[in-house]
Amino acid sequence: MIEQIAYYSTLGLEMGLAVAVGVGIGYYLDKWLGTRPWFLIIFLFFGIVAGFRSLYRALKRMERENRGG
Amino acid sequence: MEHKGFSICDMIPLLNQLPSHVANAIVVIVFLLIVAQLGTRGLRKDPKKYFIPEAKLTFRTAGEMIVEGVLKIVKDNMGPRGPEFMMIIGTLALFIFVSNVLGLIPGFHSPTETLNTTGACAITVFFLTHYYGFREHGIKYLKHFTGPVIWLAPLMVPIELIGHFVRPVSLSVRLFGNIFGDHYICAIVFGLVPFLVPLPMMLLGIFVAIVQTLVFILLSMAYFSGAIEEIEHEG
Repeated sequence: MIEQIAYYSTLGLEMGLAVAVGVGIGYYLDKWLGTRPWFLIIFLFFGIVAGFRSLYRALKRMERENRGG
Repeated sequence: MEHKGFSICDMIPLLNQLPSHVANAIVVIVFLLIVAQLGTRGLRKDPKKYFIPEAKLTFRTAGEMIVEGVLKIVKDNMGPRGPEFMMIIGTLALFIFVSNVLGLIPGFHSPTETLNTTGACAITVFFLTHYYGFREHGIKYLKHFTGPVIWLAPLMVPIELIGHFVRPVSLSVRLFGNIFGDHYICAIVFGLVPFLVPLPMMLLGIFVAIVQTLVFILLSMAYFSGAIEEIEHEG
């Protein structure tokens, strides 16, 4: 029980931080290559997708746990 | 309202030269070493004692209980290959738990309430994840990043890279934020009403210490088992 609380309480932060890290990578790539704002926009979407991917992974884990008993 | 709080470490020579979180981390390490030494005292001289459990509650039986508890969590989460990772997981669990609880003792601060300590733990986990991955699969480990089909790779690689870079950030920020926030709110409530009212906050502090330790080791285990498992792309 407490393990599940611990695990699933991590999801919110992970989703948010994925977007933040994506934007950070895009921002610094732009600064480096001087292509504002293209990499920022592209990596923003990559970050959002990465956030949902971690959500999907947690969903798979929940499915496995439910099947296991 | 930045002021230097009272700390026992400031009274000990040599330790008062160091930053607070390093000094307190040394306190945690020395404490763990002393407990481990007391627990295994006499075992090395007489190997037969390994198989005879002690009757009373001693340092050894308490230590065995803790190690068995952690081992059970590891086995539940990682399956039969879990015990390979017991060393790093157990070390992290003990260090983080004792660090978190140390902050509840007056006169000490948690080493984990600065981003430096938690960042060190998280970066260790990050590099070990990829080390285990490469050790397990060799160069084929890179296939974990490229997705199910090769023409999707330009799309999948950045997503996976972001997913991997988020891990150390979220591990360190979560632990740091929880412990720091708990201590801060405790200090504020103590400043307002120093009688009985901070008690729920301190109870919450114990709960947070346990849960955050669990979170850290559960996520580390999830990352390790993700690195060593075979690639299965099911959409």
